[in-house]
Amino acid sequence: MNDQQQVNARRHREYDRVWGNWPGWGALAAVNHTSVGLRFIVTGLFFFLIGGVLAMLMRTQLALPEQDIVGPELYNQLFTMHGTLMMFLFAIPVLEGGAMYLIPKMVGARDLPFPRLGAMGYYCYLFGGLIILSSMALSIAPDSGWFMYTPLSSSTYSPGPGSDFWLLGITFVEISSVSGAVELVVSILRTRSSGMSLRRMPIFCWYILAMALMIIVGFPPLILASVLLELERAAGFVFFEVAGGGDPLLWQHLFWLFGHPEVYIIFLPAAGIVSTLIPVFAQRPIVGYRWLVLAVITMGFISFGLWVHHMFTVGIPQLAQAFFSLASMLVAIPTAIQVFAWLATLWTGRVVWGLPMLWILGFLIIFVAGGLTGVMLALVPFNWQVHDTHFVVAHMHYVLVGGMLFPLIAGLYYWLPHVSGRMPSELLGRWAFWLVFIGFNMTFLLMHLTGLLGMPRRIYTYQADLGWDWLNLLSSVGGFVMAIGVGMLIVDILLHFRFGRLAPRNPWNADTLEWAVAMPVTTYNFISLPRIESRHPLWKDRQLPEALESGRGGLTDIQADRRVTWGSDAATGEVQQVVHLPSNSWIPLQTGVALAVTCLGLLTKFYWVALAAALIGLVVVLRWSWHNGGHPHAAPLRADDPVSPPLHSRTCDGPGRWGMLMTLLANGSLFACLLFGWFYFWTVSPQWQVPGEAPLTAAPLLISGVLLTIAALLQKRQVNRLCKGSAEGVELGFWISAALALAHALLLLWILPAADLAPRTLAHDAVLAVMLGYLLFHGALVAVLTALQALRVRLGYVRVELPYEPVVLQPLWSYTLTVFWIAFAAFILLPMAW
Amino acid sequence: MRFVPCHPLHLVLGLTVWSAWFVVLYGGLSVACQLAPPDPANGPSTWVNPLLWLSTLVVVAALLWAALRLWRAAPDQSQANRRYISLTSAALYAVSAFATLAVAAPVLFLPPCI
Repeated sequence: MNDQQQVNARRHREYDRVWGNWPGWGALAAVNHTSVGLRFIVTGLFFFLIGGVLAMLMRTQLALPEQDIVGPELYNQLFTMHGTLMMFLFAIPVLEGGAMYLIPKMVGARDLPFPRLGAMGYYCYLFGGLIILSSMALSIAPDSGWFMYTPLSSSTYSPGPGSDFWLLGITFVEISSVSGAVELVVSILRTRSSGMSLRRMPIFCWYILAMALMIIVGFPPLILASVLLELERAAGFVFFEVAGGGDPLLWQHLFWLFGHPEVYIIFLPAAGIVSTLIPVFAQRPIVGYRWLVLAVITMGFISFGLWVHHMFTVGIPQLAQAFFSLASMLVAIPTAIQVFAWLATLWTGRVVWGLPMLWILGFLIIFVAGGLTGVMLALVPFNWQVHDTHFVVAHMHYVLVGGMLFPLIAGLYYWLPHVSGRMPSELLGRWAFWLVFIGFNMTFLLMHLTGLLGMPRRIYTYQADLGWDWLNLLSSVGGFVMAIGVGMLIVDILLHFRFGRLAPRNPWNADTLEWAVAMPVTTYNFISLPRIESRHPLWKDRQLPEALESGRGGLTDIQADRRVTWGSDAATGEVQQVVHLPSNSWIPLQTGVALAVTCLGLLTKFYWVALAAALIGLVVVLRWSWHNGGHPHAAPLRADDPVSPPLHSRTCDGPGRWGMLMTLLANGSLFACLLFGWFYFWTVSPQWQVPGEAPLTAAPLLISGVLLTIAALLQKRQVNRLCKGSAEGVELGFWISAALALAHALLLLWILPAADLAPRTLAHDAVLAVMLGYLLFHGALVAVLTALQALRVRLGYVRVELPYEPVVLQPLWSYTLTVFWIAFAAFILLPMAW
Repeated sequence: MRFVPCHPLHLVLGLTVWSAWFVVLYGGLSVACQLAPPDPANGPSTWVNPLLWLSTLVVVAALLWAALRLWRAAPDQSQANRRYISLTSAALYAVSAFATLAVAAPVLFLPPCI
C-alpha cells in the first residue's frame, strides 16, 4: 500500500466511525439516507408481493364463470386491499425510497438534509402498512374499494372496523410520504454540490422535484378527507351524509384531487428512471433536456386539473365536464414530448441492449398503449360507456404497470451493482422480462375487450353465457404467467447477491455522480465533495471517482465528529453554507411507535390510550426539536467553526427554513381543501342547512385574532433583531409573544364549547368545529414552540451567533396568522354577507 | 414588486396562474349555475359564457405578456444559467397560455349549466 492509499484507507475508517450505523439493534437508530432508502424499497417490495398474491386469488376466482372459490365478501376485501397495497404501500414508498437513496448521491451530497425525518417517515410507513395488513389477517379488511367512496364506506354500509383501518392506516402512511417529499425537495434545491446549477442538474432530479412537490400539494386532500370520514364514523360528525347537509360527492372530489395527481406522482419518478437510463445505454446525452424539463413541470401542474374525469357519471354540467376532458387530453402533450425525446435519443445513439434496456423497451410499448386508452377515456361519451367496466381496469394497469413497474425493474437492474457490487444474470433476467411482458399483455390487453363487452369491475363472478368466459380464462392464465416472471425476477435478484459476477466501477459507463461512490455503497457517499462543471460529470472527467476518494474535492476533513455536506444556492448551486446533519438517533423510532400506538388506540376505541400516546409523541418530537442548532448534542459553538462558508445554524437561511416552507405548503393545501369543502357545501350540497342563529359570534374571535396578530408582529421583530446582530430584549419578546399566542389559543378553547355547535346534526357546524380545532392547534403550537425558543435564548442555544431556529419558526407564525384571518373571513364574515 | 426575469420562481408561476384560473373557472361556473342558472334554451348565448371567456382572455394576455417579457430579457450565453431559467420560463408561460385557451374553448359552444 503506497502513501496515498494509506491516507485514503485512514480517511475511510474515520468516515465510517462518524457516519456508520450502530451495530446490532442499534441499526434501528440509523438515519442515513442509504439505509433508510433501502429499507423503504425492501419493505415496498414485500407489500408488492402480497398485493400480487391477492391479484392471483382474484384471477383464480374469475378464471371460470360462476365459481365460488372466493365469496363476495372476501372478494370485496381482496380488490380493496390489492389496490391499497399497490398504490399506497408499494408504488409511492418504493419510488420515494429509491429517490431517497439516489438523490443525495446524484447531487453530490453526503445525506439528505433531514435524516431523522426520513427515518421517522420509514417507521410511519412500516407501522401504518402493518396496521392495514393486520386487518386482513383478522378478516376485517376494508372492502369498499381502494377509493373508499362514501356512503359505501360510511358507518351505515360499512359498520365494521375495515374502513377505520384504511382511513387511519393510510393517513399514517401519508405522513411518511409527505415527510419524504419535503426532504427530497429541500435536498434537490439546497444541498447540490458546488457549481451544480439548475441547468446542470441530472434530469432525474427534475422528475423527483416535480414528484415531491406534487406529493406535498396532492396528498393533503386525502389526509383531510380521511380525517373527516373518520370523524364521521367514530364521532358521528356530519360531512358526507345528505340528511345533515353533507354530500357524499365531496369525498369523491377530495379523493380524486389526490388520486389523479397520484397517478402522475407514480409515473414521474419512473419516467425519470427512463430518462436516466436511455442516455446511458445510448451512450449520448438525452435529446431535448430543456424540453423534458418543460414537459415535467407542465405535467406536474396540468395533472391537478383532471380529477373530475373520474366523476364524469355523477351529474356534473356538460361544460364543466368539457373543461376536464380538455385538460385530460392536454396532459398527453407533455407525455408525448418525453416519449419523442426518448425515441430521438435512442435513434441518434449507439444503443447497448443490456438487461435494463429490455425493460425500458417493454415500458415504451405498454405505456404508450395505456396513454392512448387514456385519451379515449378523456372523451366524455366514451367514458360514460365504459365507466366501471374492465376496460378501465385494463387502462389503469397499462398506465401503472407499464408506466411504473417496468421502469422500476429497469432501474432495479441498473442500480443493483451499486448496492451489491455484483452484476445480475442476463439469462434469468431476460426470461423474467419475457414472462412478465407476455403475461401482462395476455392479462390486460384482453381485459380491454372484456370491458367493452360490458363486464363490470368489482364483481366476484359472472354468468356463463355472456361471452366473457374465454377472455377471463386467458386473462387469468396471463396473470399466472406474469406471476412466474415476477418469481423468476426475485430468484435472479436473490441469486445475484451470491453468484453475480463482481461489478467493475461504473459498470454501465454512466454519466451521473451516483456512480462515483464506492461499490458496494458506503453510508457517507463521498470522502470529498465534487465541483460540478458539466451535466455529465463522469463523462467529462472519468477520473473523478478516484479524485474524490483521494480527498481532492471539497469538505474533506472531519471536524468535531460532525456529519456535514454542502448547502448551496437553489438556482446556481454555488456553496453558501456547510450543513451539519444529525447522527444516529432513536427519536425517529420512538416517534413512529408513539404514532402507531395512537393509531391503534383510535382503532380499538381506547381513546385515553390514543391521547396518552399522542402526548408522549409530542414530547418526543419536542425533544427532537430541542437537539438542534447550538445544542451540545448538535453543533455547539466552537472557536474553530468554519467561517467561509459558515455552518448553516450560524446563518439566517438554511435547509430547515426551506423544510418549514414546504411543510407549510402541504398544510396550506389541506387548509385550502377545508375551504373548498365549506364553499362546496354552501353552493352544491343538496340539503345544506344553516342554523337559524350563527353559532359563532365575531367579537371573541376578533379579540383572539388581534392577540395573535400582536404576537406574530412581536415575534417577527425579535427575529429581525437577531438577524441584524442584536439579541437585546429578544428573550423577553419571545416570552411575551408566546404568552399572547397562548391567550389566543385559550380564547379559542373557550369559544369552541361555548359556541353550542351541533356537529353531529349539521354539516355546517361540523366544518366549523374542524376549522376551530385547526386554528386552536396552530395557536397552541406557535405558543409552545416560541416558549421553547425563549428558553433556548436563556440557555444560549439561540443568540446572535446562532439566530437560525427562530428564523425557521418565523414562516409558521406568518402561516398561522394568515389562515386565521382567511378563516375569519370565510367562516364568519362571508356567511353574514351571503 | 420588481419583475426579475431570471428568478427561478418564473418556472412555476405561469402554470400556477393557470391552476388558479382553472379553479376560478370551474368554481365560478358552479356558483353561477347554482345562483342564477340561465335558460338552457339559450345554448351558449348566456351571460355566463362571455364572462368565462373574458376571464380566459385576460389570463391569456397576461401570460403571453410575461412570456414575451422573459424571452426578450434573457441574458446572453455568458450567463448560461440565468439564460436557461429565462428561456425555459418564457416557454412555460407560453405553454400556460395555450393550456388556458385550450381548456376554455368549450365555453364558445356549450351551454353552461346543463
